[in-house]
Amino acid sequence: MSESTRDLILWLIPGAPLAAALLLALTGKLIWKYKSHLPCAAAIAVSFVCSLILLFDILPKTWAHAGEHAEHVLSGPVVAVGYNWLDVGSVHVPIELRADAMTGIMLAMVTGVSLLVAIFGSGYMHHDPGYPRFFAAVSGFVFSMCMLVLSSSYLMLFVFWEAVGVCSYLLIGFWFRKPSAAAAAKKAFVINRIGDFGLILGIFLIWTTFGSLRFDEVFNADRLQTLAMTDPQLITTICLLLFVGAMGKSAQFPLHVWLPDAMEGPTPVSALIHAATMVTAGVYLVARSTPLFMLAPTAQMVVAAVGAITALIAAITALTQTDLKRVMAYSTVSQLGYMFMALGAGAAGKEFVGFAVMAAMFHLFTHAYFKALLFLASGSVMHSMGDVIDMRRFSGLKHALPITHWTFLCGAAALAGIPPLAGFWSKDEILAALFSGATHGEHRMFFAVILGIALFTAFLTAFYTFRAYYMTFHGPERFPEEAGHHPHDAPPAMAWPLRILAIAALGIGLAVGPTHLFGGTFHHTTGIPEGEHGMNFLMMGLSIVIGVAGWFLAKVLYVDKTDVPQTLARQFGPLYRASYGKLYFDEIFMFLVVFPLKGLAYLSELFDKYVVDAAVDGVGKIPGILSSAPQRLHGGFVQSYAFVMWIGVLVCVAFVLQALAGM
Amino acid sequence: MNTINGYLAVGAILFTLGGIGFLTRRNLILMILSAELMLHGVSLTLTTFSKLHGNNEGQVFTIFILTVAACEAGLALSLILNLYQKSRSLNIDLWSLFHESDLPDPLSPEERAPRPLPESTYENLPKLTPAGRPLELSRGDRKETATNV
Amino acid sequence: MNIILDHWHLLLPLLLGALAVWWLMPVGYQRPRIVGALAGIGALVVLADILTPKSLAAEAAVETVLFYVFALGAIGSAALMVTSSNPVYGALWFALTTLSVCGLFVLQDAPFLAASTIVVYAGAIIVTFLFVIMLAQQAGATNYDGRSRHPVGATFMAFILLGTMLYGLQLAGKDVERIGKNGPSATMSRVTGTRSELTVPAVVDGNAAPVGTLHGLGRALFGDYLFAVEMAGTLLLVASIGAIAMAPRRAQGTL
Repeated sequence: MSESTRDLILWLIPGAPLAAALLLALTGKLIWKYKSHLPCAAAIAVSFVCSLILLFDILPKTWAHAGEHAEHVLSGPVVAVGYNWLDVGSVHVPIELRADAMTGIMLAMVTGVSLLVAIFGSGYMHHDPGYPRFFAAVSGFVFSMCMLVLSSSYLMLFVFWEAVGVCSYLLIGFWFRKPSAAAAAKKAFVINRIGDFGLILGIFLIWTTFGSLRFDEVFNADRLQTLAMTDPQLITTICLLLFVGAMGKSAQFPLHVWLPDAMEGPTPVSALIHAATMVTAGVYLVARSTPLFMLAPTAQMVVAAVGAITALIAAITALTQTDLKRVMAYSTVSQLGYMFMALGAGAAGKEFVGFAVMAAMFHLFTHAYFKALLFLASGSVMHSMGDVIDMRRFSGLKHALPITHWTFLCGAAALAGIPPLAGFWSKDEILAALFSGATHGEHRMFFAVILGIALFTAFLTAFYTFRAYYMTFHGPERFPEEAGHHPHDAPPAMAWPLRILAIAALGIGLAVGPTHLFGGTFHHTTGIPEGEHGMNFLMMGLSIVIGVAGWFLAKVLYVDKTDVPQTLARQFGPLYRASYGKLYFDEIFMFLVVFPLKGLAYLSELFDKYVVDAAVDGVGKIPGILSSAPQRLHGGFVQSYAFVMWIGVLVCVAFVLQALAGM
Repeated sequence: MNTINGYLAVGAILFTLGGIGFLTRRNLILMILSAELMLHGVSLTLTTFSKLHGNNEGQVFTIFILTVAACEAGLALSLILNLYQKSRSLNIDLWSLFHESDLPDPLSPEERAPRPLPESTYENLPKLTPAGRPLELSRGDRKETATNV
Repeated sequence: MNIILDHWHLLLPLLLGALAVWWLMPVGYQRPRIVGALAGIGALVVLADILTPKSLAAEAAVETVLFYVFALGAIGSAALMVTSSNPVYGALWFALTTLSVCGLFVLQDAPFLAASTIVVYAGAIIVTFLFVIMLAQQAGATNYDGRSRHPVGATFMAFILLGTMLYGLQLAGKDVERIGKNGPSATMSRVTGTRSELTVPAVVDGNAAPVGTLHGLGRALFGDYLFAVEMAGTLLLVASIGAIAMAPRRAQGTL
């Protein structure tokens, strides 16, 4: 394949969705209207095909060229240069696309899931008046995500990091006339911004330290090594700052509060953005910066700790939620915590980094499929139940919605980690990485604790997932009034994506995990050292036991003895309320952040009104005050005017007099 | 201590007195007369200087002042009659409407009330024919005009 | 303090004069006018001390006496005109002032001017004014004639101006005397800095035109200032047209 074809394919991946986004934004309402899904789906399909070509054809050719990979090899990525954007002093940031193995895998996943979500969305959003806007925003989002993954420098990554945030804002607040949706969109964006602050500081630091922002130049082996010896604190600081950005985007504690509220958006949006793609951008960033993180074990430990805390608190909160989508949202937060736990497991030692990062990315990959599936299935439930998603208002849907039922079951089992489904393999790899950290390396106690948290969270995950499943699909058949007489199952536009994703959830883990297909492809990523590909049977067994135990407990509580949960809730009253109330994080934020800011804003308003405005008004009043004295001269009497003239004559005469006297 | 030329001093005093009169009086006629008084003072000064310098320039200037004073008096009277027709009075206070909008009206409302026509204590005053218009006579008047012509 | 004492010749007459005028002003009630009269006379007497002409030597006696008579007449009539509460009396006092001023004109070698002033002012202007007063204010003195507007302020400012003028005249007194003795040009150019181009040449054609004669005045008027004369004539024409145009239209039988 010639270079120009290669470049074309590379540029088509983000280019097609961009074209679709522009087309729909400009002409969607006029021309496409309720056929707006056609350009969007076509564009994403083109992207998908191109990314498959990239992954299976173009990239392997570069690996064959490079031969054996040492630890810090720079050649390898496919680069398609675009446009020389910034060339200021020492900063040279071109707009170019850089694709290596990690990029290829992520692109295939992103475009694949986006395509299925777009098709699903065409059925779900069928009668919505904002139909063209939806697909324009979805196309824009896919473009931004592809560009983010294909970016070759930190600055470009940041630009598209923000672009992804903007598209997320547009999509969460899609029904913007609903106040809660508009507020949720703002909340997501603002909290992302907090993370971005750290990210920007990290990028600044990278620039001042390395003099460049491009990945290939920053991850220069020799430079990094010297720096690691002279100033390790600097690298730790950079890594921590980058991680702050990842915390915002990937909803880690304490910046996780936006994700559950983001469920105000349409369900396809939740599936795409908050399960598969946008929230994984943080994981991608940390994985991409592995050469930096490798040299800062402290940062890696912080990453692991934050991930563990997040996983735990999200799982605890998900135990008691009654909104099906919220359960899925907290589950996403929890699984993202898992990914960060894995990324942090590399602190055990340099030889474990490769495996740890690979485990995290593998979990990201499988999680995308089964979480998207779960969200889409929830969307199908919502669609049939007339937009009701409170699990207390319906039950026993397994006969009314068969397709939704069995696809949801596949996804739930995958999430819980039941072999041989996808989630099992990836979760096992993470546990294995943590186990390696707990048994080797320098921070064994630390990783032992993390491992314990991970196992406990796995148990909780299985429990709440199947709780949701049983509450929705089992029990007596009950429909809410909004559903109408006869809730209909998903139409074909919605059913086929569900089926395809269910098959992926079933098989993809098995297909690429134990067969080392994923790991083998992944380790061609430049900058990631090669890691061992062991299968830890102890962890496998443990996770099976835990998964089944969680399932069993859920079955007991929600199918057999359905009155027990109420009793338990009453007995553990405060704990239940804490869990139901999302561990009061929103309230803490309100108290610590929002109220002080509101007070400050109020003070500023007072200052503005009574000091600044008064000063300005005072300046405005000065002419009036100054003129009020001479104003009295204008009483309207001719003789007053003559009087003033008289005084003028007096002054003139006095002046002449003075001149005379001077002579 | 120098002496002051007496004529010049008188001129200055007349000017000043005229100024006082203009600033103080409320009657339109008296104000105009005071202005004329100021002109007298100036004329006297000019004439004195003319004699002191030994040429006629000052007197020539005074003649022109005289001319202008005459024009001015005619026009001023015309204006005064206009004002009188509107306000029925020679009080200049009634014409103090051009004041700043923030300030109150200088005169009180009762002072602004239009004065009634003075009662004519004489009936049948002879009336002159207005210029340019034909005289409209009733039958009874014809006899009288015959005798008054 | 010294300044006041140095200039008491000026300050005292000013003060007395101001008092006099203020006292005499109409204020709605009748004040004894004798006080004002005495103050005024006192002022004039003190002022007369520093005036010229004042010598009673033989050659200047007539002029001095006549000067004082006419000056007193002018100032007195002017003061009475300004402070009278009946406008008709005011107009008559003005006539008297005009006569006195014309007398002073005669003393200053301007007989023609005196005559023409009497004709124009006393003959035409004052008569016309009296006509209007008769027409408009048949009652004579009205209530607004009896009150003056801010008497103290006006008097004060006016006498300050008078003081500055007299002081200026006093400062320039030496130069004025020299002008009187020697003639113009040198002093004039010193004061104003320029030489006037319009001075009448000393001798034109044998008979030098002395100041004030009809002959000389006519020459100056129609010789050097012909253009101005024509303009003055045009001005009179325009003014009369204007007066006719502005005159109020009257309905039959009323004004």
